[in-house]
Amino acid sequence: MASDHGIIAKGEWHKANSSQAMEAELREEEGRVTALSDGQVFAFAVLGRVEFSQRVGSIPRRVTFPDGSVFETRDNDAVDAYLRARHGVRSGIIHRLEEFHPRLIVFTIAVILLGMSIYRYALPALVEVAVLVTPPFVPEMIGSGTLASLDRTVLKPSELPEAQQRKFAEGFSKLAARSKGGEAAYKLNFRDGGVIGPNAFALPDGNLILTDDLVKLAGSDEEMVLGVLGHEIAHVEGEHSLRQLYRAAGVAGLVMLIAGDVGSGVEDILTQGGTLLALSYSRSAEAEADRRSVELMNAGGYDPAALARFFAILEDKLGDHGKTNMLSSHPGTPERQQDIRAYAAEIKGRPQP
Amino acid sequence: MAMSGMAPSAGAGQFQRASFTGSAGEYFGIWIVNVLLTIITLGIYSAWAKVRRNRYFYGNTVILDRAFEYHATGKQIFIGRLIVVGFFIVMNILAVIVPPVAIITPIVLLIALPWLIQRGVRFSARVTSYRNVRFDFVGTAGGAFKAIILGSIIAAITFGILAPVASRWLWRYLFNNFRYGDRKFATEPRLGAIYGVWFLSAAMVVIGTVIVGGIVAVVVAGASAAGEGLAGELEGFNVAAFLGIYAVAIVYFLVYGLAALFYRAGVRNVAWSAATLDGRHELLSDVSRVRYAWIVISNIILTVLTLGLMRPWAAVRMARYVNEHTAIRVNGNIGEVLSSMEASGAAISAEYMDLEGFDFGF
Repeated sequence: MASDHGIIAKGEWHKANSSQAMEAELREEEGRVTALSDGQVFAFAVLGRVEFSQRVGSIPRRVTFPDGSVFETRDNDAVDAYLRARHGVRSGIIHRLEEFHPRLIVFTIAVILLGMSIYRYALPALVEVAVLVTPPFVPEMIGSGTLASLDRTVLKPSELPEAQQRKFAEGFSKLAARSKGGEAAYKLNFRDGGVIGPNAFALPDGNLILTDDLVKLAGSDEEMVLGVLGHEIAHVEGEHSLRQLYRAAGVAGLVMLIAGDVGSGVEDILTQGGTLLALSYSRSAEAEADRRSVELMNAGGYDPAALARFFAILEDKLGDHGKTNMLSSHPGTPERQQDIRAYAAEIKGRPQP
Repeated sequence: MAMSGMAPSAGAGQFQRASFTGSAGEYFGIWIVNVLLTIITLGIYSAWAKVRRNRYFYGNTVILDRAFEYHATGKQIFIGRLIVVGFFIVMNILAVIVPPVAIITPIVLLIALPWLIQRGVRFSARVTSYRNVRFDFVGTAGGAFKAIILGSIIAAITFGILAPVASRWLWRYLFNNFRYGDRKFATEPRLGAIYGVWFLSAAMVVIGTVIVGGIVAVVVAGASAAGEGLAGELEGFNVAAFLGIYAVAIVYFLVYGLAALFYRAGVRNVAWSAATLDGRHELLSDVSRVRYAWIVISNIILTVLTLGLMRPWAAVRMARYVNEHTAIRVNGNIGEVLSSMEASGAAISAEYMDLEGFDFGF
């Protein structure tokens, strides 16, 4: 095919930097590649100085001469055949992988398996690295910023009597003293939760917020509230919200890097949906915090299973009998109570540290 | 010797539509190999993957019988990304040593943003060619500041009422600084026309807000009506609040997303249809807002449901639709267009600024 006087392909020739095109053919003659038409030579060069663009699908192929002029052809197969004869198969290896072929099924399966293992192993490892290199002021900035904006929008000052607040604060510092970072690392804030209702939550800088409604819900069972606080302390200890934030960012980043172009809509969902997702903890983080609450309560001399009573009330009053399923981030309430009671019984049997 | 000029004589005086000649089957192969090699090379290949993807889409975008070409190299994009990653690593390390750096970095980035945008658009323009002639972008950083930063701010603080003004600035900044070789693009979209397409989206946002407000009111009413007892209050409150949050989120995504899509497509039509090349040749965009929004939304759903495997099909479908609703009317002869960048080689190798998301390719 690519004999010395062979025509390589038919196409168009462009002068350097000009839109004007002439019909032309590409030939190889005496070791030179030439673009010509009816015997008129437009451009020529020795083989090595001519640049053939890589094939992508069936888009036009460009052959660039040293003088900047360009020969363009849609006859990709002819150019491939010529290059194969001249240089062996190397030139178009990526294109050959991309061609429609049963091999693509294998690639697809490989991508799915690799994607799953990245999600399972590489993502958690990346999250750990990110947590390690996060300077301490980042959680502080996130925490104080969130508290300030919550105070402006939904939260109102607490209406709990001073004496009651003091009682909770005392119990809280007992728990905090036994956790990582010690008492100074945590601060309990009382607020009227407004729309949030009965709740307690932790900010990454160690600020905990306890709503009046939760205290009311607990009634005379103050240990139960402490159990919930122990759970929230554990979220701070384990840097769960930072981890969740990095996880969401990691998923978005990896998907965009690997898939290249996911479309602007999917990109928006990944970045904005990821932020929403970052507001909730993962199931394993919840389970870990439950266990930590049991430990802290036990160490503080309280009933280690107090947190289970909170879930019992939730189940009772809110009808939360849900079993754990893949879609919910929280383990089912009945299951959590069981785990907490079992762990409490286990830890009581152990000698106090 | 046959010389082919720019205007095919047959279609002179009529709008000539662009087309997309690629296929989902062909692109799937390119895409899956891109993904596989990106994973295997721990992300390094993604720069080369981008080049192959863009070459495929540009090379299959055909107008007046000729395709576009994308010229950036994987090495260029890779170096550009290394610079960005390197910058953030250095800044993070500095922030640990000197904490105030953490506050300064975002401020510096914000100040540099117009410059980054201008360089990014220019890069995209310069690595694109049509009929062997490169595009160019001569906009300034100051122009980017007004068109994009200032525009976004006035659109936001007026709750979108001045969004058409911002859109007009943006499209004028892009088109009026865009060059095809030695020829100029220009657009003068009428503000009235942009407000014409803005009206529908604005009405949707207002109605959506009323619906969201209604849901919130129902939630609050439901909560207080649930009785004075604590248990009753809790129950009513949480169930309603729970449902309410989801309803608000769904309405938010649907209404506001749809309004944004309608607006985007509408403004594109206005801006492109008001644009000319070389002062004579008219451009046209007649994207249907409903159809455009449907394609975007169904593409998202399909992409997510198939964990990305249908993304190649979705991308080709979108490109085909947009191309087929973009056209040019050549009035008179375009003649020979010459590249305006004399030292184009040097100018491009010095550029590594490829800002993702600012492609507004032809």
